[in-house]
Amino acid sequence: MMHEKIRLELIIERMAMRRACRILETAGVPGYTVLPALSGFGRANHWQRDRDLSASQDMVVIISISDEAPIANVLLEMHALLDQHIGILNTSPVHVLRPDRF
Amino acid sequence: MDLLLSTLLSPMVLFFALGLSAALLKSQMTIPEAFAKGLSVYLMMAIGLKGGVEMARSEISLHVWSVFAAGILLSFVLPLLAFTALRLTSKLDRIDAAATAAHYGSISIVTFVAATQVIYAAGLQTSGYMVAVAALMEAPAIMTALLLAQCGQQKPPSVAGSESGELYREVLLNASVVVLVGALAIGWISGESGMERIAPFFVDPFQGVLCLFLLDMGLSAGRGLRQGWRQLDFSALVFGLYMPLISAAIASGIAWVLRMPTADMALLMVLAASASYIAVPAAMRLALPKAKPSIYLTLSLGVTFPFNLAVGIPLYLFIAKLIQG
Repeated sequence: MMHEKIRLELIIERMAMRRACRILETAGVPGYTVLPALSGFGRANHWQRDRDLSASQDMVVIISISDEAPIANVLLEMHALLDQHIGILNTSPVHVLRPDRF
Repeated sequence: MDLLLSTLLSPMVLFFALGLSAALLKSQMTIPEAFAKGLSVYLMMAIGLKGGVEMARSEISLHVWSVFAAGILLSFVLPLLAFTALRLTSKLDRIDAAATAAHYGSISIVTFVAATQVIYAAGLQTSGYMVAVAALMEAPAIMTALLLAQCGQQKPPSVAGSESGELYREVLLNASVVVLVGALAIGWISGESGMERIAPFFVDPFQGVLCLFLLDMGLSAGRGLRQGWRQLDFSALVFGLYMPLISAAIASGIAWVLRMPTADMALLMVLAASASYIAVPAAMRLALPKAKPSIYLTLSLGVTFPFNLAVGIPLYLFIAKLIQG
């Protein structure tokens, strides 16, 4: 009944969101969803959405579920992006109900 | 002294102090994000409209064009001084110094708005075209900072996923520039009769909205200071206090050469002395993502903004009055 796919989850600073989305679209993932991140902690720093008016320190979460090939295409470019911008990426196997949607 | 006291005891500064103290004391008080953004759009619309109406009253003379040019020149040049000062006196590396310098060449529209209120309270009238000068001074500093960051270095490869023109869109079409310039044009086109129809919304509640906004700015500044001060060494912290004075001194010299009236001279000093915390931080995350936001935001929002609001504005007005007799 369920079908195995790969889920990519990227937490990245809002200002780099469009760059990450372009990489996903170019690699041919069938879709993605962007969520706002509220707050967090890392490298001895607390961060929080809504801390300054520029919103330049806000973070977002990008989730994409796809076959393995498009996700593999994404990783090299994402690595280069995360060399410059604040963010973390992970992938994990997931099970989906309708495989034709991914 | 009277000017300093009346500024310090004005509702807008006291509300800012309330927000700052609440954040430093770790109060949970917040102003919802969307509401704060709405307030900033309102303030920029109100100041743009007012400036546009005043511009419509007189023609744009050669003097006005020269003030525009002076504003752009200041925004290009001030980051050079800021960068040099930071590199000579602090431990900031080239990228952090360039990103911070961009903030000090650009402007803070809230400081500008607060200064106009102090100037009106002192019985002086500013020229409408100073709003256009503020808009013109937003972007050039970013270009200088990028050149400073790259000077003598190999041109870095473009960041993965970046697109040509994205930085220029962010710099030239960010919300504050679009709203400010748009409202200025609308005020200029619709003139006094148009303004009369919307005055109950944009003129009468202005001071109250400014207080509400400054309460939120105080909260932001306090939180920034609480979390970011550890990133700053003493010399960088002091930079946030002396750089506005250097910038204001240079602006006063230019205003004197251009024979600007007292109120406009004070406003040009305020614009030069203020540091951006809306447009430039966003642009820096795109252009210089390796620069640490905790350094430049803490300095511009946590150190320079409160200094200008409480001490700088009355000081610049006092000096402008002294120079112009």
